Amino acid sequence: MTNKYSESLDSKFKETTNLGLEVVKEASEDRLMKLSVGPQHPGSGHFRFTIKVDGDYIVYCDPDPGYVHRGEEKMCEYRNYIQNIPHLERPVIHDSTNITYSYSLAVEELLGIEVPRRGQFIRAIASELNRQVYTLYWLAIYGIFLGHSTMFMWPTGDRELFIDLLAALTGARVTHAFNIPGGVRNDIPEGFKEKCLEYIKYFEKRLKEYEDIFYNNPLFRQRTENVGILPKQDAIDLGVTGSVLRASGIPHDVRKVEPYDVYNEIDFKVQYMKTCDSFARAYVPFLDMRESCNITRQLLEKMPESGEVRVKLQSNPKGRIGEAYKRVESGRGALSYYIVSDGSSKPYRVKISVGSFRNILALPHLLVGSRLGDMPSIYWALNYWPVEADR
Amino acid sequence: MSSSIIKKTSTATGFIKAIESGSKHLLMKRFTLRFPEQKLKFVGDGYQFDPKRGVGIAGSRGRHILFHEKCTGCQLCAITCEGIAEAIEMVKVNEKWKQNKKSIMPQIDYGKCVFCGLCVDACPFYALYMTNDFELSSFTKEHLIYTPAQLAVKPKYDGTVEVKIDERGASHR
Repeated sequence: MTNKYSESLDSKFKETTNLGLEVVKEASEDRLMKLSVGPQHPGSGHFRFTIKVDGDYIVYCDPDPGYVHRGEEKMCEYRNYIQNIPHLERPVIHDSTNITYSYSLAVEELLGIEVPRRGQFIRAIASELNRQVYTLYWLAIYGIFLGHSTMFMWPTGDRELFIDLLAALTGARVTHAFNIPGGVRNDIPEGFKEKCLEYIKYFEKRLKEYEDIFYNNPLFRQRTENVGILPKQDAIDLGVTGSVLRASGIPHDVRKVEPYDVYNEIDFKVQYMKTCDSFARAYVPFLDMRESCNITRQLLEKMPESGEVRVKLQSNPKGRIGEAYKRVESGRGALSYYIVSDGSSKPYRVKISVGSFRNILALPHLLVGSRLGDMPSIYWALNYWPVEADR
Repeated sequence: MSSSIIKKTSTATGFIKAIESGSKHLLMKRFTLRFPEQKLKFVGDGYQFDPKRGVGIAGSRGRHILFHEKCTGCQLCAITCEGIAEAIEMVKVNEKWKQNKKSIMPQIDYGKCVFCGLCVDACPFYALYMTNDFELSSFTKEHLIYTPAQLAVKPKYDGTVEVKIDERGASHR
């Protein structure tokens, strides 16, 4: 990191020399200004990072996650496998179906049960709808972060369509507690399929308008294009995941690489871009939303007409002695659970690995050497959810 | 598999298209739900659970409803809630039921409840369901605690509004 810092500083000094300005070659400490962003900044979420600026250029960045740490992993050790569901979805309530999805998959492996086929389809549908809800919320915040009020209103409104569908399916608007080891809690209600297809058709029309008003907007493109370049090799070295990795030219999606449940029967493309900048990181989730509509439609078509949705379990199931590791693709990238069981009804150890925490490692890498004004577009394009990263 | 490339348009075209796309919405319907006047319609009478089949019945997860004539005072709902929200407490009631020798029934603190509905899944006697009622706010903490008698009341919820989609956009009607 120090090499990059001095290199980028050198090039900036060169730039200013060309303008004919007087330049101090060595940036001494008293020349720098320290700024603290967060933890209660309206845009950053509950997350603080300290930056040092030399004029308009950021020369140092220190992310400091942990403000909303709740000890989710430790809490899991005191509750049985079923009781863990409601508190595990708290870190990311906008994507609560996906965060309990991989937990359910891992516990099912420990309990040695197989979910009925219809149940697998229903939870895949819920997962896709919830990914839309999360991405729309993220897009809304990204819009208002860059001063685009319309882009705050539109996704927030359209998000309501998917919340409506999920409320009909699961019974709750945000924290669904829908996935459970052994399947899903209930079957789909009457008229859900028709409603879902109607909303998706309308939403795809809306996505075209998003492109016109936001992604093709010259103001947005000027603020994001060629900003915060994360080259392919750096993305691999830093271990980023999800849309950030796909924006750096690597077509990696857990749904394709390690298909879980019914995803190997679904025909879809992994969307990725090669430009590696903030614009690509903002555009890839948008393309994912379009692909997600396509996936949902296929899932609804291929779903068996009737059948069981859940394995009947005893109220306090005991897992076999051993371990299980499962991952799914969430709105922010790969989300995995590693569960160790000692044969009792409670897990011995639960480790949650989330996309947010892995993506934030790229923040100092991207911010150092960039302008202060580019900070919002770089930071929020990382698809970072502070509460999930702190767990 | 090929990477996506977005076509670059000129600055003027970009602005004109953005303004055009935004101004179309002047003629469109408002999507906002005007909450106290308009209320959303829910599917079904609330979340229910069939212990025989081990599967729930889709519905909104709002306030609970307790059927006194079915509750046996087995405490399974309270035991489930212990590790989740600790919202359910078993209290003595003055009623005498054949199936409920101890005369205890659940009392729910809605200041703690997270509406996960796992207590409904735990009940083996079809005694505890959930309803569409979600308007539970009150001025004091004590009013959030619902006694077994209060939980037995069937709420009146008259939501009629749905999301409707036509050529003039989506709206709540």
